[in-house]
Amino acid sequence: MLTTDGTGRLADILLVEDNEDDVMLTRKGFQRAKLKIHLHHVENGEDCMAFLRKKGSFATAPTPDLILLDLNMPVMDGREVLAEMVQDDALNHIPVVILTTSEDERDVLEMYKLRCSAYTTKPVDFNNFLKVVQGIADFWLTLVVLPPQR
Amino acid sequence: MSDEWISTVMEAVPTAMVMVDREGRIARVNSEAERLFGYSPGELRGQILEKLIPFRFRRDHSVHRNSFLAKPEKRRKEVGRDLFGLHRDGTEFPVEVSLNPIETEEGMFTLAVVVDITERIRQERMFRMAVEAAPTALMMVDERGEIILANSETERLFGYSREELVGELVEVLIPLRFREKHVGHRDGFFKNFQTRLTGEGRDLFGLRKDGTEIPVEVGLNYVETQGGMFALAAVVDISRRKQLEENLRQSNKLLAESNDELRQFAYVASHDLQTPLRTVAGFAQCLKEDHEGKLDEETDDYIRRIVKGCERMKTLINDLLTYSRVESRSRPFTEANLNELFDEVVELLGSAIEESQGAVTRGELPTVEGDPTQLLQVLQNLVGNSLKYHGDTPPRVHAKAVKKGADWIISIKDNGIGIAPRQHERIFEVFGRLHTQEAYPGTGIGLAVCRRIILRHGGRIWFDSEEGHGSTFHFTIPEHQILCQNS
Repeated sequence: MLTTDGTGRLADILLVEDNEDDVMLTRKGFQRAKLKIHLHHVENGEDCMAFLRKKGSFATAPTPDLILLDLNMPVMDGREVLAEMVQDDALNHIPVVILTTSEDERDVLEMYKLRCSAYTTKPVDFNNFLKVVQGIADFWLTLVVLPPQR
Repeated sequence: MSDEWISTVMEAVPTAMVMVDREGRIARVNSEAERLFGYSPGELRGQILEKLIPFRFRRDHSVHRNSFLAKPEKRRKEVGRDLFGLHRDGTEFPVEVSLNPIETEEGMFTLAVVVDITERIRQERMFRMAVEAAPTALMMVDERGEIILANSETERLFGYSREELVGELVEVLIPLRFREKHVGHRDGFFKNFQTRLTGEGRDLFGLRKDGTEIPVEVGLNYVETQGGMFALAAVVDISRRKQLEENLRQSNKLLAESNDELRQFAYVASHDLQTPLRTVAGFAQCLKEDHEGKLDEETDDYIRRIVKGCERMKTLINDLLTYSRVESRSRPFTEANLNELFDEVVELLGSAIEESQGAVTRGELPTVEGDPTQLLQVLQNLVGNSLKYHGDTPPRVHAKAVKKGADWIISIKDNGIGIAPRQHERIFEVFGRLHTQEAYPGTGIGLAVCRRIILRHGGRIWFDSEEGHGSTFHFTIPEHQILCQNS
């Protein structure tokens, strides 16, 4: 059973983010919120797809329970990742939460149309950011029933 | 025909008639002829006809008279031949004459019907003068398509002298590729007279003598004269207008591009600027929490200030974004019911109203043509300001509308702290503020956005205020928008 307090199985969360500082802050966020998880990280969309398909250096990667996806990344951005995941039958069941700076309405609409599970923005204030992280964890890892592991 | 019968007829006719015998002597005249030439009754009988003709024409006239008698047939003396009659008092007047041979018991006579065409000549001259003086190129074209008349403006526009044009087919002024079609149009026009502005929606061109083409607009009318039906064409050189249209098109294109660039810039700015912001704020806070209790008050304060600075920067960035989006993200104009929008604002500001124990009311507001979202922003901003900048008494805000010509003037009055007149321009500036952050928080972009929105709607925004005695903000908005939106 999936728990965040360490008593059960730990969730595998894949963070797709190119900004190192943001990665660190996200890690801190989960720490601060006392959420015990396995946080995996890739820097761009291309590595994300490789991770999900267990290609190359990611041969032993687990299938994530949840993906936190940034939008603007080099090489392959969040939009392209989502578009590809939706087409792939092996991958399109994994919940994807967009976690990004952009509040642009068009981005929000586009991502929901590509069937992201949720869209959140990153607040500047760290405490607020903690609340977002806590919120995501509470909802996706505790409240919601996730798709069964294949 | 009996004598008496002829007399009766001649008297009954209101035109001058002169009956002349084989020798050219006046056998009979009617009283109209006597009146026209200024003779008393009976004075003309037996006189030679040439008495009624100016001296210089007499010899030629008798020659003509004889040739007519040699081959008598009903004839109207051709138009264009200057014929004159000589009055008894020596003055001359222009006439038109028609000749009719008459066989009577007493022999062959010629009946001349004489019409005084002074008035007609005068009118034709006035017409010609008008045509000549017109600042537009005017031409008269007959049913066969030949140019009969061209004014000096036509000469100037096309580079021909009128002598070169008269008698030519009008197609000589039209580029080769349009000529055939034009002949068809021309025929159609004469068959079906209708005043028309030709070329609407189509590009028409004229051909100058030097071979260059000019863009033109042509107005057609028809004129009825003694000589038949004619088309009167007014030709206007529209090169300048076309140039202006082209300039406008270019300007609009540049504007659209500029808007696109601005939108791009705003997006990038908002995005890229916030990331390092988050880094600074985030780690500052981590610092703080990691060293909870272990830091001295001063360091604590530094960190607090760092984070607050970042927050503020983020708000500024967002506000800038909003400002830049007024033009680029605007929606096409539709129906905006200001009553409904105002009521929505009151609902949105519900908590602010409650907290300040304020009262927000309105009179009857109009429905105008505009962008409802943006107008909502304006109202929210103005009412929000009125609620925010209150003094010791709870805020009272009232909105009303007055019609002035094609515009509505909307006024939002409050009983707040007021604004000194010398601060006028400042408050509409981007980031222009009059108070410190502590006293009244805000970024100072609200009114700048309002102004931009109102300008976009073709209105003005201003205020009346006195320090300590409240403010009234006014803005105008036309009931209907005239220009098209190009966003």
